[in-house]
Amino acid sequence: MLFSSIPFLYFFLPAVLLLYVIAPRALKNSVLLISGLVFYAWGEPRYVVVMAISIIVGYVFGLLIEKFRGKKLSKIFMLLSVGIDLGLLVYFKYVDFFIDNFNNITGLSVPLLKIALPIGISFYTFQILSYTVDVYRGTVPAQKNPVTLGAYITMFPQLIAGPIVRYSDVEKELRHREHTLKKTYEGILRFCVGLGKKILIANALGELCETFKATDEKTVLFYWLYAVAFSLHIYFDFSGYSDMAIGLGKIFGFTFMENFNYPYISKSVTEFWRRWHISLGQWFRDYVYIPLGGNRVSTVKHLRNIFVVWFLTGFWHGADWNFIVWGLYFAVLLTIEKLWLGKYLAKSKVLSRVYVLFLIIISFVIFNAAGMGEALQYIGGMFGIGAVGFAGNEWLYYLTSYAFILAVAAIGATPVPKIIVGKLQDTKTGNVAMTVLSPVFAVIIIVLCTAYLVDGSFNPFLYFRF
Amino acid sequence: MKDKLKYVITIVLTSALVFGFGAWFLLKEPTKYSESERRTLSLLPEFSLSDVLSGDFMREFEEASPDQFPLRDIFRSIKAYASEYIFNKKDNNKIFLADSHLSKLEYPENPDMIQYAGEKFNYIYNEYLENTDADIYLSVVPDKNCFIAEENGYLALDYDKFAVRVSEQFSVAEYIDVKPLLDKDDYYTTDTHWRQEKIADVAETLCSGMGVGFDGNFRENKLDIPFYGVYYNQSGLNVPYDEIIYLTNDVIDGCKITNYDSGAPADYPMYDMKKAQSADAYEMFLSGTVAISVIENPAAKEKNELILFRDSFGSSIAPLMAGSFSKITLVDIRYIASSYIGNVVDFKNADKVLFLYSTVLLNNSLAMK
Repeated sequence: MLFSSIPFLYFFLPAVLLLYVIAPRALKNSVLLISGLVFYAWGEPRYVVVMAISIIVGYVFGLLIEKFRGKKLSKIFMLLSVGIDLGLLVYFKYVDFFIDNFNNITGLSVPLLKIALPIGISFYTFQILSYTVDVYRGTVPAQKNPVTLGAYITMFPQLIAGPIVRYSDVEKELRHREHTLKKTYEGILRFCVGLGKKILIANALGELCETFKATDEKTVLFYWLYAVAFSLHIYFDFSGYSDMAIGLGKIFGFTFMENFNYPYISKSVTEFWRRWHISLGQWFRDYVYIPLGGNRVSTVKHLRNIFVVWFLTGFWHGADWNFIVWGLYFAVLLTIEKLWLGKYLAKSKVLSRVYVLFLIIISFVIFNAAGMGEALQYIGGMFGIGAVGFAGNEWLYYLTSYAFILAVAAIGATPVPKIIVGKLQDTKTGNVAMTVLSPVFAVIIIVLCTAYLVDGSFNPFLYFRF
Repeated sequence: MKDKLKYVITIVLTSALVFGFGAWFLLKEPTKYSESERRTLSLLPEFSLSDVLSGDFMREFEEASPDQFPLRDIFRSIKAYASEYIFNKKDNNKIFLADSHLSKLEYPENPDMIQYAGEKFNYIYNEYLENTDADIYLSVVPDKNCFIAEENGYLALDYDKFAVRVSEQFSVAEYIDVKPLLDKDDYYTTDTHWRQEKIADVAETLCSGMGVGFDGNFRENKLDIPFYGVYYNQSGLNVPYDEIIYLTNDVIDGCKITNYDSGAPADYPMYDMKKAQSADAYEMFLSGTVAISVIENPAAKEKNELILFRDSFGSSIAPLMAGSFSKITLVDIRYIASSYIGNVVDFKNADKVLFLYSTVLLNNSLAMK
């Protein structure tokens, strides 16, 4: 179930909120657990079992790791837990990729398993991994109550698309959390911001990208329009979903970490990755990069660590070579910045940003391609190779038709709107105006988004496939 | 205090919206048909455990919920206005408003579709017409985008090239060009079709192109019902409605019309006033979508039979040509298979055969059977 859907907005959410509000404090986690299971089952009834196995594995091994703390068995249980969780992930997400490549190399025809990907498996697997590893490290105690651990894993606001909330971050709130008018208000506004980003901007830009893919009139400028539109589309799609998740978290009394921090204003690719999908970057840093030695090793090992992390980051996003190339592309860029370019980028304000935007736009063309063949075709097309001319009617039409949305998206991807609202709130008149404007804004966004949902058919969510 | 007020107002208003519409949705009677969109709406699925376990229930629920949402038409209008006036999109679901005309993007040209239409025409010729004495003609009716799209920055076909390509696909036919006779005012502002009272010159050109005379004296009759065309409903925008003016004369009044659709042949009026009251008033012309219609003109002085292969544009122009022929047989191959026509239509007596098709159908010709 998508947050940006009528069943969620008008059935699931009101029903869960009602149950949550009337449930006594002791049962609120149970409401979250059950609602999370229903939310998950709505899209994948069969795969609730897979998720349940992951939760049970996490719960049981968490207790065993703690029970044998300081002994060798503790490490064995941790490794077993990690192995089972990663095994499930590999089986459901990557097995056909491996078979396909095995067939290509050997010339054999081992049949593909064609297993449907359980929604959100990449996200909840990483959450469970972080829990068991943190218990092993002694960062958090093992959770004795299976309902509480289950509520953490299945918590629907972040279940299928993150942010990858770590158990250590919400452990206290799982035991005791405050529900205040202020938090609920902030949660509603944040949810509405995310809903608007997703439905009004990301979906429109997604339509533009689909139009480009379907046309035969792929000119150089249309390739560029597509590349820019997709870069904005993926940002508004994913950050909008994260905003909705963070907003829902607040309504239910949780404080989730920020997942995006205006990545397109970055002055280096290194900075971009500190601002884009922050929870994933930090996860890989804490559970892969640092255990490998991070940067406190020889230069060669440091570079190895970077390439391992970015290979895995790319592979995490999808079982295809273009995702691996996408990850390694960043490994190369980050290495160049660390060894040489970083100090020059720090001195520039404009060129460094142009450099980042150019490379990120190219990266998302690779990311969104249906394989490396298409990625190379599209990148070639952006530079005139294989394009059917330079401009063309369609490019001009869609540029003018989407000009306003592209402009809003470009401005919205910077902190400018936030700064304006902040300055407005700092003035007496502005503060009074916000009292009126906040509820009006929330209502307008909900009504507009409902109108787009009622009349529209284009409402995909990219990160579902991860 | 001010902050608390802000919190409370926001929470109350958004909750009222979400809970209110959620409850309304559950309690309202299902809506089976959308008059405004002229389509059957998806209904919420019946609950069954097997459908829940297979995921079918949820999938069908997701699909049906936008169709069954309360105030659906109002929300569609909100989206249309937001798209047009807030987001400045040039079209909404491909529908656009230009020069006071609602229209739908028809772009790009689909060579495969043109070829498919050509194959159908050639099949009909080879199967039924090759060994007759009938003269074969072809004419392409440009859709109104020809006159409003490019001028207003919308994507438009190259209509001259389009006609040439269609003509090349069906080279046995002599092409009659009607495009120079048309402009945007010859079309309804809210609908795809041309206005009958504006196309007498087109009918005359088609008749003279086929070497037959034409009597252009008609009486204008105004339908006293507002006409909301197909684009009006699809657009969600509140624009002025159209009026239907239909033409008559003594010849038209004296014609006998027989429709061959499903069931036995039946007599129908040239202008069907029951259809004029329906959701699509344009269907009043020869009762709209019919596989085969025959117009017999008892006032004709000599036998002169026309077979008109046509789409819906033919419904309104055929009455104007009735006085030029003793019999016009209209065939719509969207509703009858080309391979079956010979069982119903007598081609041996045909003097003229005209293939009259709009660019919209030719560019999306898969509906041709």
